[in-house]
Amino acid sequence: MDYKFVPSVCPYCGTGCGVLFEVIDGKIVGTLPNKTHPVNEGKLCIKGWNMHEYVNSFMRLKQPLVKTFGRFIKTEWDEAIQVTADRFKKIIDKHGPDSVGVLVSAKITNEENYLAQKFARAVIGTNNVDHCARL
Amino acid sequence: MQAQVEQWLKEGKVDIFIGYKKVDGHVMPHFFTKENIDEVKDLVAGQAHYSLEKVATKVAAEHPDMKIGILLARDCNQQALHVLYVWNQLNPNQIQTLEAFEASSDSEQPEVSAPYKQQMGLGKSMAPKDMEAFDHAERFSRWMYEFSKCLKCYGCRNICPVCFCKECSLEHKDLVRAGNLPPEIPIFHLVRAVHMAGRCIDCGLCEEACPSDIPLRLLYRKVDEIVQDVFDYETGTSPDQSPFSVLGEKVVLEPIPINE
Repeated sequence: MDYKFVPSVCPYCGTGCGVLFEVIDGKIVGTLPNKTHPVNEGKLCIKGWNMHEYVNSFMRLKQPLVKTFGRFIKTEWDEAIQVTADRFKKIIDKHGPDSVGVLVSAKITNEENYLAQKFARAVIGTNNVDHCARL
Repeated sequence: MQAQVEQWLKEGKVDIFIGYKKVDGHVMPHFFTKENIDEVKDLVAGQAHYSLEKVATKVAAEHPDMKIGILLARDCNQQALHVLYVWNQLNPNQIQTLEAFEASSDSEQPEVSAPYKQQMGLGKSMAPKDMEAFDHAERFSRWMYEFSKCLKCYGCRNICPVCFCKECSLEHKDLVRAGNLPPEIPIFHLVRAVHMAGRCIDCGLCEEACPSDIPLRLLYRKVDEIVQDVFDYETGTSPDQSPFSVLGEKVVLEPIPINE
């Protein structure tokens, strides 16, 4: 018997609405808007209202997949990052750093966005940085 | 209030108590149990409006034998519970209530609408008779202006303490196909309004949850007014089943096979 309400922030867009997850026996069974949150004041959109569904979805990816010979193979994070780094290196050596672009997101924090642009400029060596909110 | 809950939990009068607790400055619903009895001193009534009854129905669905205590922080909570008893969503023998009215379901100050809304739509502070001062054509165009703002978040349905249908006709797979848009306006709102007849207890949570400021309460108040006039049924206080209950002892309509 384990019941609780867990306050959190909606991960969908950059607005940052406050939500409460209803957790029954370790499983999220519902999402409620946080009534006193200064951002959303007790309101949510359809995506926010249904957040608990994707957490419990059987289609959710729980570990990295690496595409090898046209097929996605389940692997561990260390290996996936190593493969990504190797392949980036190959592309940069062959076509130059401007062949790579980095797309960041409004969903992640300022600090993570800062790190992403730093990664693009200092590690990869390109100014190709953009984000999903620039429509 | 805290002492009473502590006593109930200790005596085993309730297995779980649903109340409010202040977390990070926000008054939030919280489950109090015997295992974390120290937390009972943090129990507050608060001004926050959450539908604790709806939470109780979810707990009762998982554990039907559990004795649940509910804090009644608003005057409409009792009515909502009553409707849930009448519709067999909660068993009154399993529920203990504790009254601590601090908040009212009526907003303290009537909200003044912005000029454009005054000209085009309907205000939240209006009473059904104010709305009826407009002639039919204007009333319809004003309602359509309000409905056209709807972004189909389903928030009014999700937050509603008396919305408990297993299959909702606003998203049933035979009525709304996957990948298609939800029902159009004004059908969406009118379906909900019709289903609110004999159930709506005018708690105002739907209007609070609406991101588009649609005066839903006014719509459901009008529906309730009709229920009262025509059926002489007071939702939330009349002890008998609502006149709209179609669940009976036997099935009178043969189900029609649906061709896939």
